[in-house]
Amino acid sequence: MPKSLFVDPAEVRASGKVTFHEIPVNQYNKTIEEELASGKFSKEDLIRIFRDMTVLREFETMLNLIKTQGVYNGIEHTYPGPAHLSIGQEAACVGQAYLLDENDFAFGSHRSHSEILAKALSTIHKMSDEQLMDVMENFLEGKCLRATQKLGETESVKELAIRFILYGTLSEIFARETGFHMGMGGSMHAFFLPFGIYPNNAIVGGSGTISTGAALYKKVNDKKGIVVCNIGDASMARGPVWEAMNFAAMDQYKTLWESHNGGMPILYNIFNNSYGMGDQTRGETMGQGCMSRIASGISPTQFHAETVDGFNPLAVIDVMRRKLELLRSGQGPVMLETLTYRFSGHSVSDQNAYRTKEEIDAWKEVDPLTVYPAKLIEAGILTQAEADAILAETAERMTLICKAAADPEISPYCDLDKDPAVIERLMFSNQRAVRLDDRTPEVLVPKEEAEGYQKIKSKSRSPIGPDGKPVSKMKLYNLRDALSEVIYDRFYEDPTMIAYGEDCRDWGGAFAVYRGMMDALPHCRLFNSPLAEGAIVGTAVGYALSGGRALVELMYADFIGCAGDEIFNQMSKWQAMSAGILKMPLVLRVSVGSKYGAQHSQDWTSLCAHIPGLKVCFPATPWEAKGLMEAALNGTDPVVFFESQRIYDIGEQFHEGGVPEERYEIAFGDTNRVRTGKDVTILTVGATLYRAVDAAKELSEKYGLEAEIINLHSLVPLDYTKIVESVRKTGKVVLVSDACARGSFLNDVAQNITQLCFDDLDAPPVVVGAKNWITPPYEFDKYFFPQKEWILDAIHQQILPLPGYVPAQPHSEAAQIYRSKLGV
Amino acid sequence: MANAVLMPKAGITVESCIIGKWLKQVGDPVKMGDILFEYETDKAVFECESTAEGELLEIFFQDGDEVPCLVNVCAVGAKGEDCSTLRPEGSAPAAAPEAVPAAAPAAPVAAAAATPASASADAAISPRARKLAESAGVDTACAAGTGPNGRVIERDVRRLMEQGVPAAAPAAAVSPAAEYEDVTFSGIRKVISKSMMASLQGSAQLTHHFSFDASIIRDYRAQMKAAGGDYAGVTLGDMVLFAVSRTLLNHPDMNAHMLDANTIRRFNVVHLGVAVDTPRGLLVPVIRNADTKSLVQISKEVKELAAQAASGSISPDKMSGATFTVSNLGSFDVEMFTPILNPPQTGIIGVCKMTDRVRRTKDGGIDVYPAMGLSLTYDHRAVDGAPASRFMQEVCRKLEQFTALLAD
Repeated sequence: MPKSLFVDPAEVRASGKVTFHEIPVNQYNKTIEEELASGKFSKEDLIRIFRDMTVLREFETMLNLIKTQGVYNGIEHTYPGPAHLSIGQEAACVGQAYLLDENDFAFGSHRSHSEILAKALSTIHKMSDEQLMDVMENFLEGKCLRATQKLGETESVKELAIRFILYGTLSEIFARETGFHMGMGGSMHAFFLPFGIYPNNAIVGGSGTISTGAALYKKVNDKKGIVVCNIGDASMARGPVWEAMNFAAMDQYKTLWESHNGGMPILYNIFNNSYGMGDQTRGETMGQGCMSRIASGISPTQFHAETVDGFNPLAVIDVMRRKLELLRSGQGPVMLETLTYRFSGHSVSDQNAYRTKEEIDAWKEVDPLTVYPAKLIEAGILTQAEADAILAETAERMTLICKAAADPEISPYCDLDKDPAVIERLMFSNQRAVRLDDRTPEVLVPKEEAEGYQKIKSKSRSPIGPDGKPVSKMKLYNLRDALSEVIYDRFYEDPTMIAYGEDCRDWGGAFAVYRGMMDALPHCRLFNSPLAEGAIVGTAVGYALSGGRALVELMYADFIGCAGDEIFNQMSKWQAMSAGILKMPLVLRVSVGSKYGAQHSQDWTSLCAHIPGLKVCFPATPWEAKGLMEAALNGTDPVVFFESQRIYDIGEQFHEGGVPEERYEIAFGDTNRVRTGKDVTILTVGATLYRAVDAAKELSEKYGLEAEIINLHSLVPLDYTKIVESVRKTGKVVLVSDACARGSFLNDVAQNITQLCFDDLDAPPVVVGAKNWITPPYEFDKYFFPQKEWILDAIHQQILPLPGYVPAQPHSEAAQIYRSKLGV
Repeated sequence: MANAVLMPKAGITVESCIIGKWLKQVGDPVKMGDILFEYETDKAVFECESTAEGELLEIFFQDGDEVPCLVNVCAVGAKGEDCSTLRPEGSAPAAAPEAVPAAAPAAPVAAAAATPASASADAAISPRARKLAESAGVDTACAAGTGPNGRVIERDVRRLMEQGVPAAAPAAAVSPAAEYEDVTFSGIRKVISKSMMASLQGSAQLTHHFSFDASIIRDYRAQMKAAGGDYAGVTLGDMVLFAVSRTLLNHPDMNAHMLDANTIRRFNVVHLGVAVDTPRGLLVPVIRNADTKSLVQISKEVKELAAQAASGSISPDKMSGATFTVSNLGSFDVEMFTPILNPPQTGIIGVCKMTDRVRRTKDGGIDVYPAMGLSLTYDHRAVDGAPASRFMQEVCRKLEQFTALLAD
């Protein structure tokens, strides 16, 4: 809702019609001789195209034999993992990669061996020997290179590099420590950053949002190169892919981004092999007919879409040449439909029940691996003997590589017996990185002149003023200010840091954390995103793994569901799946609502805490909010940062002297003891802290019991030291959060406490959570969310009966069993 | 060198004793043979004499603490001597009581608003309470659980500990608003509670009521009274004991122990248990080999045992091993009752009061005679109704023909 863009009723209501321009389909019609004559290719280039295709074909043929027969050229090996092959798609891959270099990022799908190898071979050809040696020697401390060198001397660095890329990919597929990611990624997550080969993805269409985020990174940070998003035809059925394309097509890049005006440098390439797994996307499970039609529904540019014959490498190179020009001149995004066909099944267990042998044979008739060399021979560029020599060389090399990758001496597995913590160490990078780039952060005014920042600085950091009187709400530094202050500070330090989400800029975010920042930051660093949570998180994942710092917001925690894959599979997993090669400096702010009913009021910390690889925090005081946001925005790990709408306005009530002026970090894992006591421990998450404080007051005043309250502002990681210390002291513990009790993360905490403090417990730990219901309208709040009384009830009825206390909600084990039986 | 005084082993079967109260305080001079403290088994109260001389240096267990036999209870030695090496594991850290104990071991517990469940052997106890009780040497069976579902929780153990460290006033004052008080059972009451419940839950008891013409024993009692000396002390109850002691061997299943569900042990001697009311509760001393003892011997022994039981000085070994029990409530005007078996015994006779009854005489007139009631409870697992009745018929006949019995 930028004021600068006037929504003119006259214009909006004017009559007219929507027009589309034609989309070229398979228009390429040049001969080899014509291409040679045009000077775009040398003979060597044309032969190299063939060579590259043979390398791809042999690689997958080898994998197919290993999977189906356990043997390739006499090498016996058993490989239990996935092998989604794309035999038949080699020309499409080699054609696409031909003009790309290491600055161009290519993301892929779960069927990407050929994409990886084609991009690698193309990059190896373009890089100097020095560059190649540098890359290989520095990658994973040269571990992969040394294993490759064991295969024997090579006549050139390029040949060594080819072996290196084949070996690194195959040993990664075989889950070996010498693989590109120590075997932690495997077939569907193999990549190689130094060659601009970015992650493939086992989730169909998973790369849609991530590659768009990578393009955003290039655009915002003026990085060289473009981004290719390789997805299959079936992924066009997935919502996040549409969200991503819409994100890439936003008008604001042209209307509002001033210095960064221009289209997103991204090419959405749909490898259309006509099949999903076994479903036929043309004629059965989809209705577009031609995939290149899709972009016409997204942008008036129609993404300059074209359909190209992916069985002819030269046709693909031709179209790529023209599209790269568009992309490099800021006219992206671009969409390509590359028609191809896989002779192999979806996976090796595929019985091809959904297609006829005649169909496969008909495509084999036009197999680029026979048609293309035949044309070269016909044109006198290649002799049959030379073609045979190339095939022989490829097979020989592949045999050498396969033998080495299958050999546990050369290619050992990570030894989890000897070092059981190998994967543990990969889960988080735990680094501190104040700047992810050296340039000066782009801002509109110096920080000192930023009005919003000054306003925060002028507020009272303690609820009691120097005159001893309570500070008025308007002048009190609150939890919202704590977040804003840190975000301001970090925007002025890390040039790569950007923030976006729904209504983040002009509105300042639905809960005003960004209020005023639009006057300090250019559009490209703080902008409104479409209402598309999958795209918000997915693009942030892509932005972060490309090297930038992303701070994004989902207005309500409930919308986590809309970004399920992006949070649970992408944001959380890439650091470990890449064996630490990728970092994920991504902070996802989510707000726990109130007053807005069943789909806007849920505390979903438990869902996030369940997923390995995410850090999860939920500050409940301004002091906590400031320290945790500082730590989150200096770190390199993905953080889901929960906030509660109930307490944005709250001042600091616990930290002595209020919230410090100076900057500080609260280490993830720390807990915050806000009240000391000897009789009972109350552990809180989120806004329940304040209800626990009220309960503690009543326990003290009426029953002479002193409660110790510890707020768990960091759920993952969580250091139990102080919790155990407290529970050992009191022997009694209640755990409170606004999350529904069933499956609440606090049950996990309670279980750990039971184990760690069993002999000190005077009663089982009791978890007090919200009911296992929908969140009813606000009018029924006290029946649904934990109240002060519920905490006292739990103590009285399940831990330590209080003289004269009358429970608000009777508890019985029979009722507990009964409700569980009903699932409520 | 400081010496420890041990908790005596008051009988072969005694494993631990509860300290009743300390009669010496830390700092007091102690001579050999001085009484240091009283202690209680589940059956009686004893006095512990000092086995060392010097100053009472440290007391390791407080009033009410349960202490295993032969564990160091206190240290006696030269003033200022270190006695920490004598401190047993599991005792409370040294805390010298400042005053002579005044509170009874089972002091009333202040009434809490939440309903406290009385302690039972099965009461749940929190791990924390158990740990604390162990370290403080407190017997959690004495604790009244005030946690949810009667769970013994930390505060219950702390309350016990407070009671065990007496101050000038009772540690836990009764709240003026309380409408009731909870009393924790002391050792003997606790044992009775447990064994009575176990008896009823663990055997198949039923009771037959009989009565017999007590004219002869009444007259005989008058004769004995007139005879004076030891004879004067022979009571009707003694005569019942005598008659029972002479009948039991004819009914081996009644003079027996149930060893398990399928085995009984028949005795060739009669060790007769005699229920005695004492200030601490019911005790059952045993007349050993009653079948070989004369009426007067039985009468004398009953009196001696009863006196010892009442004073609490009876040896635990004199209260075990009975093969059959007689319980006499006649003096309380009980006309009929259902005694509870003393497992593993198979029978117990309850002696009831004497009442006048009428019966038709041979000439058709009405005769008034003194009838005395006997109630036999037996374990139906071991004995059926007919043999049990036959046993009682013989007891009754012997009592009705008591002088003839004496002649045997």
